[in-house]
Amino acid sequence: MALTTNTPIDSHTTTTGLSSRINRGAGRANRLGGRRIGSHVFLLILAFYFFIPLWWLFVASTKSTGELFGSPAFWFADITNFATNVQGLFMHDGGIYWRWLGNSFLYALAGGLGATILAVLAGYGFAKYSFRGRGAVFGVVLGSVMVPLTALVVPTFVLLSEVGLINTPWAVILPSLLNPFGVYLMRIYTQDAVPDEMLEASRIDGAGEWRTFWQVSLPLLRPAIVTVFLLAVVQQWNNFFLPLAVLTDPDLLPVTVGLNRWTALSNAGAGGEQVWNLITSGAFISVVPLLLSFLLLQRYWQGGLAIGSIK
Amino acid sequence: MKNRLLASGAAVAVAAVALTGCSGDTQASCTNTITKTDAEQVTVWAWYPAFAQVVDLFNETHDDVQICWTNAGQGNDQYSKFSTAIEAGSGAPDVLQLEFEVLSSFAIRDALVDLSEYGANDVRTNYTDGAWEDASSGDAVYAIPVDGGPMGMIYRADIFDEYGIEVPETWDEFADAAQALKDAGAPGVLADFPTNGRAFNQALFAQAGSTPFVYDSANPQEIGIEVNDDGAKEVLAYWQDLVERDLVATDDAFTADYNTNLVNGTYAVYIAAAWGPGYLGGLADADEDAVWRAAPVPQWDTANPVQINWGGSSFGVTSQSDKPELAALVAKEIFGTEEAWEIGVDQAALFPLWTPVLESDEFAQKEYPFFAGQKINEDVFLEAAAGYEGFTFSPFQNYAYDQLTEELYAMVEGQQNADEALDTLQDSLEQYATQQGFELLN
Amino acid sequence: MTTTTAAPTRPRISLQRKRQRYGWFYVTPFLAIFALFFIVPLGYAAWMSLFSSTLAGGSQFAGLGNYVRAFTDPLFIGGIGRVAAFGLVMIPAQLIVAITAALVLDTLATTLSKISRLLIFAPYAIPVVVGALMWSFLYSPRFGPASTIFEWFGMAAPDFLSSSAIFGSLVNIVTWQWAGYYMIIVYAALRSVDPAIYEAARIDGANGFHIAMRIKVPMISSSMVMVITFALIGTLQFFTEPVVLRSMAAGAIDSAYTPNMYAYALAFQYSQFNYASAIAFSLGILVFIGSFIFLFFTRKQSGLK
Repeated sequence: MALTTNTPIDSHTTTTGLSSRINRGAGRANRLGGRRIGSHVFLLILAFYFFIPLWWLFVASTKSTGELFGSPAFWFADITNFATNVQGLFMHDGGIYWRWLGNSFLYALAGGLGATILAVLAGYGFAKYSFRGRGAVFGVVLGSVMVPLTALVVPTFVLLSEVGLINTPWAVILPSLLNPFGVYLMRIYTQDAVPDEMLEASRIDGAGEWRTFWQVSLPLLRPAIVTVFLLAVVQQWNNFFLPLAVLTDPDLLPVTVGLNRWTALSNAGAGGEQVWNLITSGAFISVVPLLLSFLLLQRYWQGGLAIGSIK
Repeated sequence: MKNRLLASGAAVAVAAVALTGCSGDTQASCTNTITKTDAEQVTVWAWYPAFAQVVDLFNETHDDVQICWTNAGQGNDQYSKFSTAIEAGSGAPDVLQLEFEVLSSFAIRDALVDLSEYGANDVRTNYTDGAWEDASSGDAVYAIPVDGGPMGMIYRADIFDEYGIEVPETWDEFADAAQALKDAGAPGVLADFPTNGRAFNQALFAQAGSTPFVYDSANPQEIGIEVNDDGAKEVLAYWQDLVERDLVATDDAFTADYNTNLVNGTYAVYIAAAWGPGYLGGLADADEDAVWRAAPVPQWDTANPVQINWGGSSFGVTSQSDKPELAALVAKEIFGTEEAWEIGVDQAALFPLWTPVLESDEFAQKEYPFFAGQKINEDVFLEAAAGYEGFTFSPFQNYAYDQLTEELYAMVEGQQNADEALDTLQDSLEQYATQQGFELLN
Repeated sequence: MTTTTAAPTRPRISLQRKRQRYGWFYVTPFLAIFALFFIVPLGYAAWMSLFSSTLAGGSQFAGLGNYVRAFTDPLFIGGIGRVAAFGLVMIPAQLIVAITAALVLDTLATTLSKISRLLIFAPYAIPVVVGALMWSFLYSPRFGPASTIFEWFGMAAPDFLSSSAIFGSLVNIVTWQWAGYYMIIVYAALRSVDPAIYEAARIDGANGFHIAMRIKVPMISSSMVMVITFALIGTLQFFTEPVVLRSMAAGAIDSAYTPNMYAYALAFQYSQFNYASAIAFSLGILVFIGSFIFLFFTRKQSGLK
């Protein structure tokens, strides 16, 4: 571990990283003065590319179905239709859309929280204890990200239906507690952030293993915990194929699967229903919470994402 | 701050889990509310939104049995779920909505109950021959028909008038009309030939006498395949010619673009099933000046007209049901009243296969505002429904359709001609059938 | 690491050993879930893959027959070839966008650069299904933006959903969805480099470009290994984006376009669950071998000591 070159971003372990980072922005900006316009233009072009589809979604969410198919894609037709669409989301199928949104929150938070707790414990265990079989078990866990999900859908379905959990929230939440990547991140982070000397000191003071973990190690792991939690929440928020397979009841669907149902229904011939305006406005509203939380929680995830690359 | 963030997240999540944990009894998670809780319940999967009212009607009029309805997704979404449930051995409902084209595919997996053992033949007379043929295989009846898709031609009378096009009655006239429209400088084309049309393409072939499959579930190991018969080749060569002359579009069906083209006049003609107007109705606010009319689908030989069908659905009883008798009763009676059909026709724009409604004066005389009051049933679809004689699908229809789409796409991309497309299709389906353990009849 | 404080006396060693067993206490909750929702289903799927069942022929034990069939199945091999091609284009594309953006961002501290950083990252917050659905609208020849933009230059827009363009269209969606995420990982790693090193280099006469290429890029190599591993696994299991686009371009994207799609179609559309399991396993084996080789050659950077 070479602190001089690879300082953990949440620089609680060293002060050099923090202080030099503060100095740096100003010093460098002066030096590179002439280049800044070119850099900004480059960034703006990139930002434009990444932003334009989102802009489209925003504009589309303000259109009626007819306008969606009949007016320019990147500008508003009759902006008041956004209110009509939102109203439609409340009316259609008894406002089931909001139920879907709530389900997404529930699954993401419950799954994310559970996955984080398990990952913190496991990461700590793998990092700080060299129990027999550690290497092999960790290897298997890490290898599990290679297996395509399609292989597991049918067996998971059988398993869940055996224990009577099919078509319940548990069918989505329980499998999502599995987050091998979170375990990997926590292990890497714990290795660096929790010095063995500190654990030894705590033990010599007479603290038990659990108290050492709870009082000494856990506070040091906070930045990584926040990151793993955010990543797990995002992963679960995006979850699509598992809920698609294990949920039938419309009232239990997360918003991704629900919107997909509306799409299928809108494309159906006989007995279908054209709700494109609800699909676009529903999709737009559903991405707002995550976008907002990314905006507000920048400080946490930006630092935390570097964890995997630190040693 | 970090602490509070985590703590509040934890609180929300735990509270949420606890809440749903309490209400965890999900065995009877019906979308509808059941008031007669003493009666036996039959679970039903169906995706029409308007089905909600039909279920309520059924439950109001029955005391000994109640429907517990779930919308398990449209078409393929629901089939995937059913398929998983079959493989898992549990999880299927008692009754579910099935399009005619998938009946054999589920029957061969022993997933459907033969309803002839539960009195299906008692209601035989309430359906046309073609509809009954589609729902059965040999003597076995795998579903009770609900709605159908007899085909007609919906066209833009305003565009026809503007460019001086006559309404075609034969496919030759149809090709001439396509040419005339192009010569007159119209911005659009006469029609679309979607390579992913699946049942649509198959129906067009069938009109020239193509019978791609011979299959009877009494001998489930035997199948006859002839997707490259003369009828299919003749029809496909006809469309290949139109495609090459740029007289028709080749856009994929049921996409946003296709929807737009349908309603903004890019296609002057929509070769449609009887549910087509309902589909268009949902989109139609795009072009207010559009004047829509319906006419019979063009014929190859006006002396011997052949009627064809695109889509439609039925109710089958699953072999996982522990009350097949009650389930069969639901399948028979759910769309077996005039009141139910009032909802089906008016709310869902379904085309009824139940003859008491189908053959009623009221249905024939129904005026459709979308067509400025034209009586499209009397003019077009009743005759199409009456003349339809049924179709035999393969027990691997999904695979067959996917292969058909691939070959048609290669054709419109100019990689092969119509004959080659169908011959390749024939080879690949024969190979697939053999590999799946079937004995080829031909 | 754990032996650094080991004392030479016997009782201490056995105490040390004993303590290591506590490790199980921490990893067991995770392993329980892992066993239940990974090992058990995986074992079941492995068992399924040893049987062959056909529509008309019923089910029988086939041993490794399904695997022999898989590795001689032109559809599976073709799909593997296709994702390999995607990997060769898509991974560098994402990497170049991510690293360039991160390097540029690292030299700026303006409000504009902060906004750009957020906008570039924003697509990560969009569920993949929704993102692909959005792009499928944008690719639409009729009301997508392409026709308007190309018209400005007096050209006809390409058909993004045609068989010749679909490859690029898919690369674009994936790059849009993930490059921002990778950028943030690389950017965070860059921010953790001690700037004293740059000062030293500058005194030695290095310019900004040299510093970027000679110092920054090597310094963030471990985060790049992580990004490439993500991208590699993501590419080999390529699924959601082509599935969504398939509903608009069924001809250009067949049901066996990628191995994962093939496995899905076999299981849920063609009712061949056993063969589908074998295909999924074969893919898993290939992904495993691919990632293993990659991680072996980059083991220094990946932290798997």
